Amino acid sequence: MIAPPFPRSLWAETLRQMLQKKLTVVAMAVVFLYTMVALLAHWGLIAGDWNVEVGGSYAAPSIQHWLGTDIFGRSVLAKIIKGTEVAMSVGFVVALIAVTMGVALGALAGYFGGIVDECIVWFYTTVASIPNIMLLLALTFILGKGILSVYIALGMTNWVELCRLIRGEVKRHKDQEYVQAATALGASHLRKLCRHILPNVLHIVIICFALIFQFAIKSEVILSYLGLGVQNSPSWGVMIDDARVELARGIWWQLVFATLAMFLIVLAFNILSDALRDALDPKLKGK
Amino acid sequence: MNMYHYAIRRLLYAIPVLIGVTLVIFLLFNVVAGDPTLILLGKHATLQQMVELRHELGLDKSMLMQYCDTLKSAFTLNFGRSWATKQQIMQMIKGGAYASLTLSIPAFVLASLAAIAMALLAAFFRGKLLDRSLVVVSVIMMSISVLAYILFGQWVFAYKLGWFEIAGYEYGFPNFLPYIILPAIIWIVLSIGPDVRFYRTVVLDEVHQDYVRTARAKGLSNRIILFKHVLKNAMIPIITNLVIQVPSLILGALLIENFFGIPGLGNITLQAINNSDFPVIKAMTILSSMLYIIFNIITDVLYTLVDPRVKLK
Amino acid sequence: MKNLIKLGVFVLIVLGMWFYTKRVHTPQNQNEKVLVTVGAAQIKGFDPAQTDDVYSACEVAKIYEGLLGYHYLKRPYELVPNLAAALPTVSEDGCVYTFSIKEGIKFHDNTCFPAGQGRELVAEDFVYTIKRVADPKVQSPWFSMLAEKIQGLDAWRNKYAVVAQTDYTEAVAGLKAVDRYTLQFTLIRPWPQFPYILAMGFCYAVPHEAVQHYGAEFLNHPVGTGPFTLQAFNPQLNKLIYYKNPTFRDKRFPSEAAEAYQHLLADAGKKLPLVDKIITHILPEEQPRWLKFQQGTIDVADIASDSIAVEVVQGDRIAPRLQEKGIQLFLEPEQSTGLFVINNGHVLFKNNAKLRQALSLAFDEQRYNELFHKGTAVLAQSIIPPGLEGYQKDYTNPYKIHDLAKARKLLTAAGYPGGKGLPVITLDVHATTQHRQQGEFFKKCMERIGVKIKVVPNTFPELLKRIDQKMTMLHALSWSADYPDAEGFLCLLYHSDQSMGIGAYFNDPAYNALYEKAIVMQPSSERTKLYEQLNSMAAEHVPAIYSVHRPHPVLYHGWIKNYLWADCLYGTEQYINIDLEQKKALQAKF
Repeated sequence: MIAPPFPRSLWAETLRQMLQKKLTVVAMAVVFLYTMVALLAHWGLIAGDWNVEVGGSYAAPSIQHWLGTDIFGRSVLAKIIKGTEVAMSVGFVVALIAVTMGVALGALAGYFGGIVDECIVWFYTTVASIPNIMLLLALTFILGKGILSVYIALGMTNWVELCRLIRGEVKRHKDQEYVQAATALGASHLRKLCRHILPNVLHIVIICFALIFQFAIKSEVILSYLGLGVQNSPSWGVMIDDARVELARGIWWQLVFATLAMFLIVLAFNILSDALRDALDPKLKGK
Repeated sequence: MNMYHYAIRRLLYAIPVLIGVTLVIFLLFNVVAGDPTLILLGKHATLQQMVELRHELGLDKSMLMQYCDTLKSAFTLNFGRSWATKQQIMQMIKGGAYASLTLSIPAFVLASLAAIAMALLAAFFRGKLLDRSLVVVSVIMMSISVLAYILFGQWVFAYKLGWFEIAGYEYGFPNFLPYIILPAIIWIVLSIGPDVRFYRTVVLDEVHQDYVRTARAKGLSNRIILFKHVLKNAMIPIITNLVIQVPSLILGALLIENFFGIPGLGNITLQAINNSDFPVIKAMTILSSMLYIIFNIITDVLYTLVDPRVKLK
Repeated sequence: MKNLIKLGVFVLIVLGMWFYTKRVHTPQNQNEKVLVTVGAAQIKGFDPAQTDDVYSACEVAKIYEGLLGYHYLKRPYELVPNLAAALPTVSEDGCVYTFSIKEGIKFHDNTCFPAGQGRELVAEDFVYTIKRVADPKVQSPWFSMLAEKIQGLDAWRNKYAVVAQTDYTEAVAGLKAVDRYTLQFTLIRPWPQFPYILAMGFCYAVPHEAVQHYGAEFLNHPVGTGPFTLQAFNPQLNKLIYYKNPTFRDKRFPSEAAEAYQHLLADAGKKLPLVDKIITHILPEEQPRWLKFQQGTIDVADIASDSIAVEVVQGDRIAPRLQEKGIQLFLEPEQSTGLFVINNGHVLFKNNAKLRQALSLAFDEQRYNELFHKGTAVLAQSIIPPGLEGYQKDYTNPYKIHDLAKARKLLTAAGYPGGKGLPVITLDVHATTQHRQQGEFFKKCMERIGVKIKVVPNTFPELLKRIDQKMTMLHALSWSADYPDAEGFLCLLYHSDQSMGIGAYFNDPAYNALYEKAIVMQPSSERTKLYEQLNSMAAEHVPAIYSVHRPHPVLYHGWIKNYLWADCLYGTEQYINIDLEQKKALQAKF
């Protein structure tokens, strides 16, 4: 039968390579930690009490309130933990939407070519031509505000690059021998795409997923600044945005700790995607 | 097919994209965003006034006619007047472009030069401590939110230390210089990270080429190979990357401009967003999309001119 | 390496130029009195008929003037003639107002006039100005203020709504220039607030030459009679520079003052304006505004809407670290009312006073005041703010006592025990950091009685649009006095199911009837009684949850003299003086 496109050992090899580097291991640990925190916060096991007043308004960091309190006397620590849930969910869902769209459209365009290709290329060129910020704005106008529109708006603005890459790769793979062999064996289009071609471009998808993940977390700040961000739940973006009117008063803790929380996860994802890239596809470096 | 034909074809191909862009913009802002009369007339508006105004703005025309108006404005560059400020939009954009470019061009040039220099350094000392720390530093710089940079930079460097102007702007050289230094530094810090990483890989890609091996075999020093041969070849992707960034320069930096009081296009856009000033938002969107399309064509054509390996298709 | 060296050289050059320009820039004419102010929002042009936001109104008032104005130093407000020679004579039936206009007042010199010389202001200019507000082609947002008030004006407007060219020569019965300096308004029915309206920005005198000469660009070329001139407005420059008007009439600093302002009489009798130049920066973000003020590069900082106010204003004092620098504080309550408006037209709230009352009882205004105003605001009992007729100092709204037990009881009585059965109630707010925090606070209050609130931020026009289309359930707004008459507040609840106002969509026949009776009355103790009655109705029906009448803190540096702020006062820069000696001494401390 046809050999699987990536021998099992390649994935194992990738993992081994990544685990060799200390930095990568730390990054993986950070991502894991954040994921756990997010999940625990989601189930209400930790930081369920973020909305409770634990001290005075704007208490500076101290033994009692490690990271200080916000305007209503809520613990900044609890808000950061709860914010982790928001950030991780934004990163995950946005990356999922973007990857799904990018892969689906890219694969269709690359595989079928012809008019389908033309249409999809036209579509993504059009989307790419419109500045992201305007597209975000317009989408939140239509969808209203809230976390759902943050997901969709960011998802809809981040798929183009991946789509372009996948299209190119699928085009390249389509004519290769193993696919032609599958055609000869009477495999359907769907089977060829899913079973044979897509596994071969999976590494691109994984790397892009990590990149979009961290980009979405960063973008949430800009959306919050524009008043289009997450509502009614603490988010790092909103906390950083609060600092617009707080920092001049010398209240630095919300800004510093929210920035730090975001910095760590974004850094971890950047390191991870670099490591993945080095291990999986040296050609893609830096793209 | 020759170059000339290729350029024409690329230009023709831009037409459906432009139509697509205007269509998307029209759908998003005209159909969905709806009625501007309240923005224009404020809290004291009467019903009759709204009807009159809708007529003035052509909002009682059919959708198709309204789309034609949008399309026409893209070609004639006549976007009418702003709803919020009542100013001629093209006039606003001209003034704003000047302010934006005085910030973005120096920042862009410096950032690019620094990024290329750092990338070369990193490639030269590949795998060494310098390389690793450069890469790590650029990743760290990329990982901090722009808003945090601005808030801190302004507070610490402009106010506490008094090194820079806190905010403001003046037209004319060299009057604007004191005002753009801090924003430009923040811009550079923001954009240098991704650029260094990208250029470093580009240079490293070249290092692995055959001609480098040949040069080494001839006994040329590493330095000469890097600067004479590798850089020359790596320039192609680097220049394309630079050209493709140009349209975004004109839009400026939304947040940076707003915080530093620079009356550029980013500032105009942000104000327009806050005022739901759709004609301005639309004009800015159409213009930047057009610039993006044009510079894409330029990049493609340049690419084929410079690099004969790229097939004309 | 070479690149690095080049880079270094480049950076050095840029830095060198910067130090050079810094040196060149600082020396100013030391003897020139320059007032530096700051605005927090884009200026929307200089057409008095078009500007309807506070920031633009402040700029317009430096250039243009009206028939009447308010005495700078007297409180309660006192109308004084400005371009008029005296207060108007009013006919017996209260419908005919006759003004005589000061002679010899000149418009600013401008190219729109023959030979560039400013023409003399005449009565006809006001006829033109008012017609222009009514002109359907101008689309002035202010016309509704004049609608169905002046004889013949509505008919004139309706006629030209369908005719391509508006004819300003066609006479309007109620607007008449009797002779060169005499002006007569004839109203449809008595309207005691009319003189206040004439003191508002949209009634400032506009010369028709300028409107015709500049056409659509008139908004960038202000030509008025006021104390300052502006060459041309460049909206792309976040900075405006005004110069003292050389042809300004002989207007003097007032020599009488209210008790509280006696200390401001040092310049009494001096010719206005007192400063030579005004520079106004436009900085939309709070942080740079505040940092620049502390640096001493901005003279006056209006921090009423800034969250920094909580930090620097302690009680009625200023923080000691600012006091050391000689910074002064002006603090007076605003004539405004903060509101969480209830959409009374919404099925949930219509005819459900108990629910509205429950929400009002659950709102902890004391804590709100602490958090957002450090306890310096006046807690609002009803819609009329202090300082206006009808405000009762000792009145306590029975539904404004923070009483959770009673709130829960009323909620149960309304059919929602513990909030059960209630949908999530949305609260629309303006999407600024501070408004969002206020919304969150409201949400936290309501959680205590089991009512779920969702805060929805909007851009300001979006918020207005949602309110207008009755799409909100609750929305946060603040209403400030346009003129010193409580009618401007009470009208917000009159038949408000038909017009937007604050979007309360409140309609109570008893209230409407009483209101109709009150508004045609001249000021009198009977009218005050009616106003008070209306005010307590507005309290007990709870068409909105009143939060606070906020204070208005303004900071200014020690060298600024005669500064004061009041809601209805615009164009006050002419009264400000600068002590250059003190400025030098104080600036040395920065």
